Amino acid sequence: MKGAVIRLVLVMGLLAIISRAQMLRVDSGTPVTLAAGALLLCGLFAGKVAKGFGLPRLTGYLLVGVAVGPYALGFIPNAGVKGLELVKGLAVSLIALVAGTELRLGLIRQVGTRVALLCAGVCGLTFVVCFGALFAFKPLLPFMASMTVAQGLAVSALVSTVVVSFSPTVTIAIVQETSARGSFTEFLMALVIIGDLFVMVAFALAAGITKASFGGGLDVAGLLGGVGWELFGSVGVGCVLAVAVLVYMRGVKQELPLFLVGLSFTAAEGGARLHLSPLLVSLAAGALVANLDERSGERIHHAIQQAGLPVFALFFAAAGAGLKLDALVTVGPVALVLVALRGVAIWFSCRKLAPADDPRLRRYLWMGLISQAGVTFGLAALVSRTFPSFGPNVEVLIVAMITAHELVGPVLTRRALSASGEIRADEAAGTA
Amino acid sequence: MQALLVLLSIAALSLLASSRVLDPGRFPALARLAASGFLFLLLGILLGPSVVGLLTPGNLEGLRPLVALGLGTAGVILGLNLEPRLLRLLPRPVYSAALAHAGSAFLFVALPLVAPLLLAFKLPPQSAVGAAALLGAAASLSSGHFAVLAYRAGRMDRARGLGVALLTMLDDAVGLGVLALALVLSAASHVGEGLGLVCLAVLLGVMCGALLAFLTHSLKDLAELTTVTLGGVALVAGAAAYLRVSALLAGVACGATLALVGGRTAERVSRALGRVERPSFLVLVFLVGCGVHARDWGAWALVPGFVGLRFLGKVLGGKLAQKLAGSALELPPRLGYALIAQGGLALCLVAEYGMLVPGGLSQRVLDVVVVGAVANELLAGQAFRQVLTPTPATARAPRPDVEVAT
Repeated sequence: MKGAVIRLVLVMGLLAIISRAQMLRVDSGTPVTLAAGALLLCGLFAGKVAKGFGLPRLTGYLLVGVAVGPYALGFIPNAGVKGLELVKGLAVSLIALVAGTELRLGLIRQVGTRVALLCAGVCGLTFVVCFGALFAFKPLLPFMASMTVAQGLAVSALVSTVVVSFSPTVTIAIVQETSARGSFTEFLMALVIIGDLFVMVAFALAAGITKASFGGGLDVAGLLGGVGWELFGSVGVGCVLAVAVLVYMRGVKQELPLFLVGLSFTAAEGGARLHLSPLLVSLAAGALVANLDERSGERIHHAIQQAGLPVFALFFAAAGAGLKLDALVTVGPVALVLVALRGVAIWFSCRKLAPADDPRLRRYLWMGLISQAGVTFGLAALVSRTFPSFGPNVEVLIVAMITAHELVGPVLTRRALSASGEIRADEAAGTA
Repeated sequence: MQALLVLLSIAALSLLASSRVLDPGRFPALARLAASGFLFLLLGILLGPSVVGLLTPGNLEGLRPLVALGLGTAGVILGLNLEPRLLRLLPRPVYSAALAHAGSAFLFVALPLVAPLLLAFKLPPQSAVGAAALLGAAASLSSGHFAVLAYRAGRMDRARGLGVALLTMLDDAVGLGVLALALVLSAASHVGEGLGLVCLAVLLGVMCGALLAFLTHSLKDLAELTTVTLGGVALVAGAAAYLRVSALLAGVACGATLALVGGRTAERVSRALGRVERPSFLVLVFLVGCGVHARDWGAWALVPGFVGLRFLGKVLGGKLAQKLAGSALELPPRLGYALIAQGGLALCLVAEYGMLVPGGLSQRVLDVVVVGAVANELLAGQAFRQVLTPTPATARAPRPDVEVAT
């Protein structure tokens, strides 16, 4: 670990020199490439340091991103972090592709109903708790204080659907890092993925109702069409991509990691442009490939492990650099109360509703559900764009919550997997 | 969305270029352009703002980080090839021969083209000299890929093929030296500041190279080595782009430092970089093509002069180089004809100049060199036949799928 610390300090020292030298220039050039290189190197070595402390590598990536980012030491300017949005989309797609290869038909048949029921229970209870709290906080939140009761209810519902969301990205990255395998891990992964499907549907409905409450009119057909397109369109496009992957794997047989990176980039960018869910597109593609041809699924898994390290290190370090620490100051108290309430709601619902046949689920599952990352960021940004009058304030509140969840979530997820006894290796080569 | 479409087009073209559709027997010129990557240059010109307009100037502005990364990668690869041990072993006549053919082409192009730049375009002397120097630098460069292909196909003996390749590698140094000079003259408001910026680029490269050597020193895992290598290259290119100094020169300094102090680590880094060399080169070439103003008639007027004078310079410089090399290096007859292909570094030089020297002049230099490079690539195929001795009946057939770095 000593070597990793020395290397991390040296990289940060060079970054400090570069940022100091930049002050001598009247006009600076593009900082995106610098941000990519710096976060990649810092992330990699911070991950090793975190591992030395018994923490997930992912926590190291996030913390070093926060440290060198624009809101702490300021070695990387904000424009550089924003320029890495493409990488974030790519990472989410890659992670979803791997997660899809884990979704075997047999597994879905085996745990699907139980997972869906538990998911509905956890999401429902968490939603109710957060919804109640937000509406109670209405007079304390400046952007909600002047709203009518109907508007307040609608906005509370909208924000609560975002707050409920989990993080498949973090869960899958930690599962990869620890090589965890077993029924508990499968249950946890299925739960976070299905939870996000629930959130997508609920978010679309809540957004439609909120628009109506602000005088936009309730377009039920448009609402259902939008939700249907996002869900079924994503699965359809995912199936097309799966066929492309199978054709490539049988016909070309070369440079598979490069091909998968290109495919994930296409899914991320194209999916976002077509109002589809990039996560669902890649998930469907991965699942179909694994169920049609098990060997191809394994090859994809192996190939992404090869290409995964730089993408994951960059993604999570960039996510850390993008965390607005100043947001914690302005809406911190309300955000922390919501974080605590969400945590208690998830813990309570898991304790009461998780299947009794496996005591590990009742005791440790809640820890794997605390993280929030890519999907929550995306929904918060969508609220900001769709509702310019109050959306940016909602985004600040949610980002403050994500900041807290990002710092404790990965640690808790790893602890859950460790406590369940399903971690197989200290570290899988070339993973997050 | 446009950027996505373009990247997908590049991917499709990559598959096409590496397939057997472009059969050298049926479309020799097209196959040559595909093998050297210049097909991507033409695609860039076609899709860029001045022809079809699929990519807008705004899109190109957004893709500048990719250009910086491509230039940095090219620089680090060039720097890594500067093996001090090998360079020390080369006898002096080899350096004289390289300087002769590169210098001749430089002088044949730079000196005559100062006049139209000064008179017709009414430029200040310092800018005109800087631009003419850069045109000369681009003209001085040659690519040895025809020689490499010829000896791989058994149409040229190995010693002669390697001799040509060695000379073309050495003239890269001339090109980089002149780029530094042109940036000193034109990239800042006065020469002192320009010199400071070039020194800053080199210092940055040396620091990043030393750091990269230390970071990669004890890494055993291949994924970690690749990650650190990519991060190091992005760091040096990105820092240069951020500080608005030359990413290419910083990259060369980084690679050379790594080669000097890295020992065996440098070889491993070189192998890791080799995996991304071709894709990053093709994307860079495509983006350079997008930057061409195809409707600048002033630039078109300069192209025949650039190509013609360079040809003359190379032919005469080749004769001089043969005399100077003597027995130290085995070279083919009519060496100048083997040096007509211009290669990718010329594009890197003008791309860098265009990024760091704002204004119409650097744009015109880019237009002239890019169009000239395509013309030279097409001309080179015919010219290289003059170098080859008649093919023996037993010679092996050329491999159509051979790809070489330019």
